[in-house]
Amino acid sequence: MRGEETYSYQDIPPILPPTHLPSCPTDCLPPIKGFLETSFVDWPGKLCAMIFVGGCNFRCPFCHNHPLVLTPKEMDSISFAEIQTRLTTRRKWLDGVCISGGEPTISPGLPAMIARLKAEGWAIKLDTNGSRPEVLAGLLKEGLLDMVAMDVKAPLVQKKYEACTGCQVELDKIRQSIELLKNSKIDHQFRITVLPRLHSEDDIRAWVEQLAGENSRLKIQNFNPRTTMDSLYEKESGFAPEIFSRLADMAATG
Amino acid sequence: MPINAESVEKEKKQGHRRDDSTDLALFVRTSQDDMTGWDRHRIVDALLRETYIDRDTAEKISIEVENTIQTGKVKTITGPLIREMVNAKLLEMGLESARRMHTRLGVPLYDVDNLLVQHNKENANVPHGPEATNLTLAEGIKKEYALLHVFTPDVADAHLRGDLHLHDLGFIDRPYCSGQSLEYIKKFGLNLPHALSAAKPAKHAEILLAHMVKFAAALQSHFAGAIGWDAVNLFYAPYLEELTDKQVHQLAQMLIYEFSQQAVARGGQAIFSDINIYWEVPKHFVDVPAIGPGGEYTGKTYGEYEKQAQRFAWALFEVYKEGDAQGRPFFFPKPLVHITEKLFKTEGHREFLNHICEVASVKGNTYFVFDRGETAKISECCRLSFKLEAQDIEDAKKPWKMRYSALQNVTINLPRLAYQAKGDDTMLFQLLTERIQLAAKAHEQKKKFIEKLMSMGTNGPLALLAMNHDGEAYLKLHKCSYLIGMVGLNELIKVHIGDELHQTEAAIKFGLKVIAHMNIVCNKMAEALDMKFVLEQTPAESTSFRFARLDMAHHRKDAEKVIQGNRETGEIYYSNSTLFNVGAQMSPISRVEREGLFHPLIEAGSITHLWLGEAQPDKEALANFVTNVFKHTQNDQIAFSPEFTCCLDCGKTSRGLVDNCPYCNSENVDGITRITGYFTKISSWNKGKLGELHDRYRNVNRFNN
Repeated sequence: MRGEETYSYQDIPPILPPTHLPSCPTDCLPPIKGFLETSFVDWPGKLCAMIFVGGCNFRCPFCHNHPLVLTPKEMDSISFAEIQTRLTTRRKWLDGVCISGGEPTISPGLPAMIARLKAEGWAIKLDTNGSRPEVLAGLLKEGLLDMVAMDVKAPLVQKKYEACTGCQVELDKIRQSIELLKNSKIDHQFRITVLPRLHSEDDIRAWVEQLAGENSRLKIQNFNPRTTMDSLYEKESGFAPEIFSRLADMAATG
Repeated sequence: MPINAESVEKEKKQGHRRDDSTDLALFVRTSQDDMTGWDRHRIVDALLRETYIDRDTAEKISIEVENTIQTGKVKTITGPLIREMVNAKLLEMGLESARRMHTRLGVPLYDVDNLLVQHNKENANVPHGPEATNLTLAEGIKKEYALLHVFTPDVADAHLRGDLHLHDLGFIDRPYCSGQSLEYIKKFGLNLPHALSAAKPAKHAEILLAHMVKFAAALQSHFAGAIGWDAVNLFYAPYLEELTDKQVHQLAQMLIYEFSQQAVARGGQAIFSDINIYWEVPKHFVDVPAIGPGGEYTGKTYGEYEKQAQRFAWALFEVYKEGDAQGRPFFFPKPLVHITEKLFKTEGHREFLNHICEVASVKGNTYFVFDRGETAKISECCRLSFKLEAQDIEDAKKPWKMRYSALQNVTINLPRLAYQAKGDDTMLFQLLTERIQLAAKAHEQKKKFIEKLMSMGTNGPLALLAMNHDGEAYLKLHKCSYLIGMVGLNELIKVHIGDELHQTEAAIKFGLKVIAHMNIVCNKMAEALDMKFVLEQTPAESTSFRFARLDMAHHRKDAEKVIQGNRETGEIYYSNSTLFNVGAQMSPISRVEREGLFHPLIEAGSITHLWLGEAQPDKEALANFVTNVFKHTQNDQIAFSPEFTCCLDCGKTSRGLVDNCPYCNSENVDGITRITGYFTKISSWNKGKLGELHDRYRNVNRFNN
């Protein structure tokens, strides 16, 4: 049986957030490390392309995209021009473009890239961890976003949150991002990936209570032990299907 | 068990005269379940009856065989053994054609022993059980019969060599598949030749369902493959007016369970059944007078039943969405939804599209069949469809007359042509032409054989197909299609020009040239022989494995450079028909677009598979995608295939293919997904298909790896 050893979030010492944020000027576009032409699963109601931006300021131990987080420089970049060409040939098909990561908002060039896509007529969805509300606010103010999915990784309790992010977090910033989205008119979703090692059922209930709102969609995703950042987590499992479906229903009904 | 060796010995010791063979006190186990005394004249009789040799030769052979038996201290004599001995004599005397005619068809003891115990995986829709082994044994003998007696040696040898594949040889005495509408049984009731009882036309929806299921079973025993039903939701509609929504739902449930649980008939095999569904009333049925309860006209046209038909269509997909009692997808009947210009003009189409896309996402059942412009089709089998022509549209006024059949399917091994052509274009097309001509010859021979059986009418073996309630035989032989399929276009291209189809535009262009050539040759042959030869993408569930295996044996040096799959485990295959490499990291858009370029050349049907793995797409995103496929491509048909794991211990079903049940952690699990044009359990798959399953690209971003 898995998970007999008892872990709790307190066991994991928080590390400092990475300081090596990209230092290029704002007109330097974000490093694009991955592109999926068609996604059926990332934007509710829409067929979208996915752009994956390298680099992240979190170190979530269960992260699936960890090469993007840890070693983006070792990955080949795709030029923005190539993305533009590929998107243009799919104009008739795609309903929008989703920008994911990594954490896109740490790239100074993100607004410029989004502005260029927007100018070409694409609807834009942004996936973010909400740690840079000032960037989010700017994008919202400029009307550059059509949807935002924000990962809120735990109920807003310092230790619980940092157990999930694997590094120190300024919770106030997370709160600001949540408020920005709740008070905005744009379509948005708060997401959480859950696993028993990091979340109790009460945690998830608290999470739902903190985030539920008329205009907010909530989505609970079950952890899937694939290639995870912290190899310990490959031996972890998500919630049992019965329990998970109860949790997911809770999110659906708010 | 030595039966009578003792008596032989005794006779010898007693020194009886043995010039008259009837004196030989040897008993023979005959094939008529009998033990008769030895009589060498039986050999003579058989030779004179079955072959063209003269009496003296026959007598001579019988005496020689008798001598061998006497001197050989044979302990057990059986009919088959005597026949083998006679055949050996015929061979010794150089009488090859007489030996062929005198051949005994049957199966070695060892094989039967294996067969009874082990699972036959040639067709994943055949379970393992006494009925299934009956089927396999019978098929084995009929297959030998077909190769020896129905087809000429050049055709049979081409099949055995693997130049081409004659499908369903074990069903040599049946046509391939059948598509029809419910109108036949609605109008004439269930009144089958030589049946123990006849039923008048149904008065209630449930009875119509009972008739439909029984008729489908009767058809299954007269056709090798799929049984398809046209516009099922529309033709049920006149029976639904009095029913509540709950009753309609229940009827839908009964229909789906009846067909999915029919695995109790022929060979324990579920009827390979398809139901064609329309949200709108197809144009060619709008003004047709509707037949309702009791086989009477209701006084309305089908155009007036749109709402009832839609209610039933909706309910059917609700049932598909639920899945069976364990949450598994239903394997049969396969729902084929026609996406037409009119659909997009019909009220509620967006909701319906979302509904069927949700089923595609959750369970995968939905097939999206694209009928662009004025085309009308009836679809069945893994991808086969019949385009309705002017005469058919005329028939549509009397929909019971609408029935379509393909008599046989012959598939050509394309990669082998490339090995043989050695890079020479002219040679390649020449060889391709010759193979198609040979396939056409095979079709002529099967046609002749079926015609012979049909000519015996309702007293012959195909009485059901000769049944004549509406002025012509149920099987309209003169209208049958003859299918010519292909396997491994992708590998042909790779051998011949060096790239696979997904790699370069040049590869696609050459691929189109090959299929266009096939199309042209088919049309020419059709004109010359007055038979309807049409191209089809062969589902090739086992043929793509068989060709790969045979080419690895006979063309190893060439084949190993292009063969797909895992050579070490023997899980090898060629890409199906004109499909691109299943493992190529193509976006779903590119795949439907590019594979779709081939579809207009393949008249009898094509499909593009999109493998979803464990991802559960958003229904509206899928609906947008489907709409775009209709509007922006030439693709004929698509299906999305999710994967499931069902636990054999706790009985629960979960998403994705996993080694352990997520509910109870048991390792005793089986996977479910589409093998070719239908869902099955993965444990029943042949090795080639397992190789393909491993390679399938499931639209996930690969930068992790």
